[in-house]
Amino acid sequence: MRLFQLLSAFFKVNLQIAVAYRMDTFVNILLNLLWLGWELLGLSIIFSNTPSLGGWSLGELIALLGIFRLVNALMAALIWPNTENFNAAVRDGTLDYTLLQPVDSMFLVTFSRMVIWHAWDMVLATVLIVVGVRMTGSGVTAPNLVSFLFLSVSGTVILYSLWIVLIAATFWFVKFDNNVTILQALLDTGRYPSTVYPTWLRLIVTFLVPIAVATTVPLQALRGDLTGWQVLLFLGIGAASFLVASRVWKAGVRKYSGASA
Amino acid sequence: MLKIYERLWQVNWAEQWQYRANLLMYLLYDLVSPVVYLAVWITIANSQGSVDGLTANDFITYYLTLLIVDQLTNEITIHILAYKIQDGTLSSELLRPVHPILTSSLVYNLASKVLSFIVLLPVWLVLCLLFRPDYSSVSLGSFLLTLPAVLLGFAIAFLLGAAITCLAFWTTRVYAISDFYSGLVLIFSGQFVPLQLMPPFIQDVARFLPFQMFRYVPIQIVLNKLPPNQILQDFAIGIAWFVVALLLFRLTWREGIKRFSAVGA
Repeated sequence: MRLFQLLSAFFKVNLQIAVAYRMDTFVNILLNLLWLGWELLGLSIIFSNTPSLGGWSLGELIALLGIFRLVNALMAALIWPNTENFNAAVRDGTLDYTLLQPVDSMFLVTFSRMVIWHAWDMVLATVLIVVGVRMTGSGVTAPNLVSFLFLSVSGTVILYSLWIVLIAATFWFVKFDNNVTILQALLDTGRYPSTVYPTWLRLIVTFLVPIAVATTVPLQALRGDLTGWQVLLFLGIGAASFLVASRVWKAGVRKYSGASA
Repeated sequence: MLKIYERLWQVNWAEQWQYRANLLMYLLYDLVSPVVYLAVWITIANSQGSVDGLTANDFITYYLTLLIVDQLTNEITIHILAYKIQDGTLSSELLRPVHPILTSSLVYNLASKVLSFIVLLPVWLVLCLLFRPDYSSVSLGSFLLTLPAVLLGFAIAFLLGAAITCLAFWTTRVYAISDFYSGLVLIFSGQFVPLQLMPPFIQDVARFLPFQMFRYVPIQIVLNKLPPNQILQDFAIGIAWFVVALLLFRLTWREGIKRFSAVGA
């Protein structure tokens, strides 16, 4: 309950920031639309040259683009801005004040900064997913749709857990302000199904930096490519990685000695 | 004058050498998306033999060459100068008897290119082992002809980038403008897909824009894919754009510097 009150307080503060810079918000949304047009142009070029990409239809790729943009928008709204705050706070020692609050520090570090205009991006991404799923037509069954939704959430949780581990590493290696670059750089691989990548790249984006687990895998469930056991396995990995990440975070906080003290 | 450049080089090199580990990370950004698109097009080419006459090897050589040409012609002037205009620290550079953009920024760009290459080359060789390109279409002549194309491409990119950076004298939203500009570059330079696969309308537009000189033209020249009269035409358009870019840059710089009031410094 208290966490919800905090969340809505964070939301209000960040909404005020967004309203104060409304011209920027407007320009950002405009640029964002432009990029979407450009991504759809990319897909249309690909599909004017082929009926299917490695067995994936246009509708499925539009749904995948939607998922990718949803993950991307979540990252841009929460994860990247809070990484910046976190790295600055570790460097100048103000993280002490966060750790002293009577609220879970992982929660505070994740949600204190929100870039509100990305909410628009999430709406757009949802529209893409719905349109894409409808384009694939009658092949979608109810159980597949449910596992698709669950796997999208658990895939996002896996990426989030990786992020927590990466920034927690800063507690051990203080000069590590590149902590999320590898995540940012590889995020672009989520735009296309990882099944078309060469083996080495597929291994990287599935196991090392599991972008595909949040993008390709849910779509595979929707297409009915996954067995029930595989779905359960991925959900299990999602829960396990969150537990591991919060353990690592707690160990990191204990290790942290503060730059200001 | 040469002494000034030499000294600037030493300073820039020493400064950037400290961040060589970061460089490897930043290089990842430039690598990922060409490799992704390469994988996509190889899949299509292999499933149907070829795409519009392009075989899997054509795509492999195109994108692997792109990685090199991209590093040679890209420029980062806006990241090293726009904030100095905004926070007023440009004034200390204006006091020096050298041009802040045509010397300091230029040398900074060149030093970062050399450093990038030290990191890029081993990565590129690994990618060659993984994708096994057949570069038999490259000849000594096509290689030599690529050098002026790359030089012209970088010159235009640098001057246009500098002109956009100078818009920081007028507006604080210069980064949004620059974002929009890089979107244009992405579409019309051949960064995403070889231009001949684009819709005919975009191809026609791209032919008369400066951006194809940044990636597509040098790549196609070195791979021996362009007929001589096409190369001549591309060079002519490129040189025309070079002149336009030079004039644009001189105009934005001269008018911008008049408005500059060194806020906060």
